[in-house]
Amino acid sequence: MTKANDPITLEIIQNSLQAAADEMFAAMRKTAMSSIIYEVLDMGTGITDAKGRIASSGAGIPAFIGVLDKSVQTLLRKFDKPSDIQPGDVFITNDPYHGGVTHLNDLVLAMPVFAGGDLIAWTANIAHNSDVGGMAPGSLSGEATEIFQEGLRLPCVKLISAGETDDAVMDIITVNSRMPDFLLGDVWAAIASVRIGARRLEDLALKYGVTTFNAAMESFAAFGEATARAELGKLPKGTFELSEEQDDGRVFNVKITISDDEFTVDLRDNPDQDTGPTNTSRDGTVVCAQMVFKSLTDPDTPANDGSFRPLKVLTREGSVFHAREPAAIGFYFETEVRVYDLIWRCLAPHVPERLPAGHFSSICGTFVGGIHPDTGRQYTIIEPQLGGWGAWEGRDGNPCIFSGFHGETYNTPAEISESRNGLFVDRMELNTEPGGEGKFTGGRGLRLEYRIRTNSGFLTAGYTRSRIKPWPLEGGAEGSGNYVEVLKTDGSQEKYSFVSGLPVNTDDVIRIVTASGGGYGDPKERDAARVREDIKNGLLSAERAAVVYGVSI
Amino acid sequence: MGRTTRRVATDVGGTFTDLVCFETDQDTGASRIVTAKSDTTPPDFEKGVLDVLERGGIDPSGVDFLAHGTTVVINALTERKGVKVGLVTTEGFRDTLEIARGNRPDFFNLHYEKPVPFVPRHLRAELPGRMTYTGEERAPLDLSGLPAILDAFRAEGVEAVAISFLHSYADTAHEEAALAEVQRLWPEVSVVSSHQITREWREYERTNTAVLSAYVQPVAARYLRRLDEGLASRGFGGRPYIMQSNCGIDSLDATSRTPITMVESGPASGIWGAAELGRLIGEPNVLALDIGGTTAKCSLIENGEVRIMTDYWIERSRKSAGYPIMVPVVDLVEIGNGGGSIAWVDDFGKLHVGPQSAGALPGPAAYGRGGTEATTTDANLWLGRINRDYFCGGAIQADMAAVESSIRSLGEKLDVGPDQAAEGIIRIANNNMVNALKLVSLNRGFDTRDFTLLAFGGGGAMHAVALGQELQVKKVVVPAAASVFSAWGMMMSDLRRDYFVTHLVELAEGAGNKIESTFAETEAKALATFAEERVGADRITFLRYGKFRYQNQEHTTEVLLPEGAITDASLARIAEDFHKTYEREYTYRLDAPVEMVGIHLVAKAEVGKLEMRPEPSGGSDASDAVKGRRMVDYALEGKHEATIYDGEALRAGMALKGPAIVEDSGATAVIHPGNAVEVDAYRNIHITLEG
Repeated sequence: MTKANDPITLEIIQNSLQAAADEMFAAMRKTAMSSIIYEVLDMGTGITDAKGRIASSGAGIPAFIGVLDKSVQTLLRKFDKPSDIQPGDVFITNDPYHGGVTHLNDLVLAMPVFAGGDLIAWTANIAHNSDVGGMAPGSLSGEATEIFQEGLRLPCVKLISAGETDDAVMDIITVNSRMPDFLLGDVWAAIASVRIGARRLEDLALKYGVTTFNAAMESFAAFGEATARAELGKLPKGTFELSEEQDDGRVFNVKITISDDEFTVDLRDNPDQDTGPTNTSRDGTVVCAQMVFKSLTDPDTPANDGSFRPLKVLTREGSVFHAREPAAIGFYFETEVRVYDLIWRCLAPHVPERLPAGHFSSICGTFVGGIHPDTGRQYTIIEPQLGGWGAWEGRDGNPCIFSGFHGETYNTPAEISESRNGLFVDRMELNTEPGGEGKFTGGRGLRLEYRIRTNSGFLTAGYTRSRIKPWPLEGGAEGSGNYVEVLKTDGSQEKYSFVSGLPVNTDDVIRIVTASGGGYGDPKERDAARVREDIKNGLLSAERAAVVYGVSI
Repeated sequence: MGRTTRRVATDVGGTFTDLVCFETDQDTGASRIVTAKSDTTPPDFEKGVLDVLERGGIDPSGVDFLAHGTTVVINALTERKGVKVGLVTTEGFRDTLEIARGNRPDFFNLHYEKPVPFVPRHLRAELPGRMTYTGEERAPLDLSGLPAILDAFRAEGVEAVAISFLHSYADTAHEEAALAEVQRLWPEVSVVSSHQITREWREYERTNTAVLSAYVQPVAARYLRRLDEGLASRGFGGRPYIMQSNCGIDSLDATSRTPITMVESGPASGIWGAAELGRLIGEPNVLALDIGGTTAKCSLIENGEVRIMTDYWIERSRKSAGYPIMVPVVDLVEIGNGGGSIAWVDDFGKLHVGPQSAGALPGPAAYGRGGTEATTTDANLWLGRINRDYFCGGAIQADMAAVESSIRSLGEKLDVGPDQAAEGIIRIANNNMVNALKLVSLNRGFDTRDFTLLAFGGGGAMHAVALGQELQVKKVVVPAAASVFSAWGMMMSDLRRDYFVTHLVELAEGAGNKIESTFAETEAKALATFAEERVGADRITFLRYGKFRYQNQEHTTEVLLPEGAITDASLARIAEDFHKTYEREYTYRLDAPVEMVGIHLVAKAEVGKLEMRPEPSGGSDASDAVKGRRMVDYALEGKHEATIYDGEALRAGMALKGPAIVEDSGATAVIHPGNAVEVDAYRNIHITLEG
């Protein structure tokens, strides 16, 4: 037996790739300057093979895992001359029309890994940076109509050449940001992260030889593909279609065709791209289809290129799911989470054992800023919210976890928020509004109240699943909706799902309410003991129990 | 023989209760070690302790010092055998326990199940009243609703009450008032408030800590009381000390009040032993590795100091968010890789080892108790690394037919022969452990070449050389009596308490006094508690640490502060120490304002710990210890005929070379070809990798 096909050696290399991706993640997390990176962990790390096919990924956000391979593939197309890519180079992109996939805030850094003069792999990193210029603080604006208004575009360029930093590029990046110190700190954190990964991979290739190293990556991908195909074989065959109305009245459509060896997601019949920033790139749409496909076929093992080989995605250029340059794209995440949920919903009734009922399904991106009354410094909250998840046969949905887009992401404790942001958190509790009833109930959403302590603050928010609510399965009830309310000191009260730069002042209360997930099964079939428990726990009124569940106390 | 000092350590494990006794002759310093084992006796665990004393022939009336470690707390938590708890918390925050942090570690799994809180919603009650993060009262505490809350708790059969209010780390007045009122209204109930356990911020972590402490308190307190009474009734004249998760021991009374602090008492004693042994043999930088039956634990010791943190979670994994317990716990990584870990092949032909373990029943195939799945121990037997004729010190006849059939059947699934299958198990297990060791070292910016790998537990010495080679450590040390090393660590422990207090201060003019007063307040509290236990101030030493970060950052870096009172004049040096430590860990430093987020105070007092005396060298000739020769498969380095040494016959100064095996009744050290071994004055073996 030669060393290259010794399964134990291959397994050890694969484990080490996973460990390297995790180490890159840990390095980035601990060194970042922006809270959205170090706490919300709006970031991802990955390793690709020489051709840019994903081999391993670190923890973090599932929505970022399919991004890095697309970035590396784009830069390989651009830098296609023999001497274009050298040891010690680091490339950067953030432009969805040039391999950046998401929006301009997300900087992707990629570093080639060489062994014995050959390119053997790439290490890459993506993270949300607090400000990359553009028309609004934080670079995200609901008013943007072109990508030019959303910040500096970095169309796949070399940031470090053979170990030498290109100061010109670095200067251009920092001068374009409203928060240059943060940006610089975060870019260096990302550089440290890709370098640490590259060092580990060089050691691995040196120890086991390039042939064995490559064989390990290939066998890992073959393993991912075999797993996906085995599960694909167990799915119902045919074409499934769903059209779904959105909060804003548009109708989105998907047709999914499952055959023995292919899983095709057809999104061509959809509205033209938006004039505002709620478009997504084709790559971004592909990432969403990959996420559902992975959850459907193999949720347990880390994703790699092989995991997605049976998947085919069809889009129409110029549509909301395949925006054409220079469409604005800043709020791509709400559009992506919609297409992600659309695919999930289309298939759930056909495979209810694999997919639960709908969840709150919005990033519920919330931006609050102003002056900290105790320190006099500017504070900015940029946070996704927790919400309720849908039920499935045998189990009530989870209360208050992050959406399907976020994964190993943490909320901000009230004690830390009050100190860092200089506001009061009046309540942080379960949302007990009706919704999500069923034999198994949807999980509860969140009710979070921020009491503002200084004048001249602002609120920006963009929530979907507000009017059109989380969907149920098998006769359950739909969940409640996501929204944000502002309670003014004069007693007036306004409710929003999308709001941009709303002024807030001392003692105004921002009430964030996220949805409960959809219910599963006929509520009348719910175990009466569980209904009584819900009443006892204050999650259900006795009157409603009688009406919805037919259980009287 | 003159007067002897008897020190006893007992350790209640999941299956067995262990005893180690060191009898030291006060004149000559010569020690005799007695070990004994008996069954663990749930639910009356104290009975097992009394049994094992009897089995070891130890008369409690002749014991001078008794330290005790127990898994009672962690078992009560993981088996959900605590009591019904009611929670009283701040208005608007009854759901903190259920909301938790919202993370989904198993992120592609849409059927992820969020951990269920230990207190259901109807037993989570609220009271009005608010503190701010600076500890000022924003709204007074209103206790008028408390009687009704407690009536409802009583009606529901609540046995313990936890109190946790927002910002109680900054000011404890509201929690203290509520605590006193609960005690007044319901004197019999067990009650704890969060500030009694921790003074750090993050309300979910602190509230969950209070709840879990309340959950185990009646169970643990009952256990400790019965142990105390049982020992006294058999003539023990002292009070037992209880091993804590922070590598220290504490008095029985203090432990009974907040028993959650002994949650990791088992692993902590071994890691502390590694730190103490490192100091003794002049190796202050140690990677400690403890391989037991079901898990391997590792920890890094820098400059003789263990790292104590409060970021501890139970049941946390890639599949689950787990539950936080914000108490001082030694920084360790634990993985499901021990001697009994089961090797298995997945649907796609990949070999895995662990985390499932064969446990004590059926145990590895070699036990001959019906186990059919190959474990790491079976692979070690098959490869000749463990002596098949001296298995478990000769206590068990190794069932080699069962070993062969388990390994062959695994090999068939991999399409390889039994030797390759067994080598594969060893290599995968080693790889798992190397990755765990990297997590505590390389991933935190420590260069393993500066560290000595100290391996103990039943399986540590078997894998240590292979791991040490992979990590290129300075050398590998296997302590004498490696299998009972944890108990030795317990006898080397000091009375120790770790205080963590959150107090956010920018490192600028005026900060010196603020920092000093936080330390002074905490030190005064520590001295008062020790005084109640009749430990005088002259016996107590303090270590002061600060937790620092750059402004706008979140994660902190802990730095040891200079001795003496802190004033504004010390700030520049403190800041420089922080920059240096930060740069080592994260590769760069910043020109940005520095903040102290809180303090970490260590208070220690010696309470008659064991003193080791060196033995004079008797020359390098080790031939007296040779037992024989046998073929050993070294996995990557192939098969070699190895010299077999009796570990119990090794004496100070002896030297030997690999390929060799050093075995005693509890552990086997695998010495690879090219290794050179020397026995030190305490009979520890030092393995140099490139001899």
